Amino acid sequence: MKQILVFVLFAAMLCWMMFSPIYKHVFIVREALLQKEVDYLLETGASGSRGYIDDAMVEASRSRLEQAGMSRDQIRYDISASDGGVATSSARPLLRGTGLILTISYPYERLFQIDSLIGIAVPDPEERMAASGIKMSEYVP
Amino acid sequence: MSKLLLILLMLTVWASAHALQIDEERSIRTLFESKHSVSRAVHAAAQQLNKEDLAEGRFTINEEAAYATAMEYLRLNLLLDASGHPLPGSRLRQRVVLEDWAVINAGQPFPFTYRNSRYDYEVTLDRPAVVMIIAVSYPRLFSMMEPIVWHVKGTAELTGPMNAVYSSHSS
Repeated sequence: MKQILVFVLFAAMLCWMMFSPIYKHVFIVREALLQKEVDYLLETGASGSRGYIDDAMVEASRSRLEQAGMSRDQIRYDISASDGGVATSSARPLLRGTGLILTISYPYERLFQIDSLIGIAVPDPEERMAASGIKMSEYVP
Repeated sequence: MSKLLLILLMLTVWASAHALQIDEERSIRTLFESKHSVSRAVHAAAQQLNKEDLAEGRFTINEEAAYATAMEYLRLNLLLDASGHPLPGSRLRQRVVLEDWAVINAGQPFPFTYRNSRYDYEVTLDRPAVVMIIAVSYPRLFSMMEPIVWHVKGTAELTGPMNAVYSSHSS
């Protein structure tokens, strides 16, 4: 009887102990994937042959992240230029010396829901994790 | 009663292993982010051509502009304020320190080997370049792990025509 009582008292704690590392790991991997995607898009986009990040590149990036289990429509890309110009047009690439700024964000979804088992405040599922970077364009016409 | 103690003990062990794993994963990610920020900063700095020398056909780096640009790009990438302290939203908690900054300009005999024995860094350059080393302290979430300070190193060479004259000795 006493053991059952102990188990019931610890059940929530045990569940959290067993499953929360998995969700934390998913969170860390998703953040890392976003950062990697930012690195890749900036590396290719700011290279001497481009100077922009256009819709085709964003679509390809969405597909890559979708393969890692993210929902395609939830991923948000914010692309801008350090001089306020347009950074998404292949017809008007950013010239050498202008910075290409990219932020990719994705909602937390319900990754932290399990923390409410042990009474930790959970972030709103609509809040977004984000990765960002700025790289100077190398493009010379 | 002994089982209750065993459960508590296992919970502690499990929780600390969990904490250690999260901290290790995050610390490696911090290292990667810092490295990419340094790479982008030196990349931007190496694009700052000295226009007066360029008019005479020599490719050299404008040292003041290079420093200003490198600091600006490092700050924007790591989300720091002007003194190097992290802004809200940054992953870091402590000040980022610039440990080494060098512009290897035309005038050196190329290929030139830059050495920094203090941070065990060596790089051979074929053209004018910028070298940067920063210290980044990783903010631990739990005290399971020893404190970590990364010395992040980066170099970028001037991009330009391959046959251009880089050394003033040969001109």
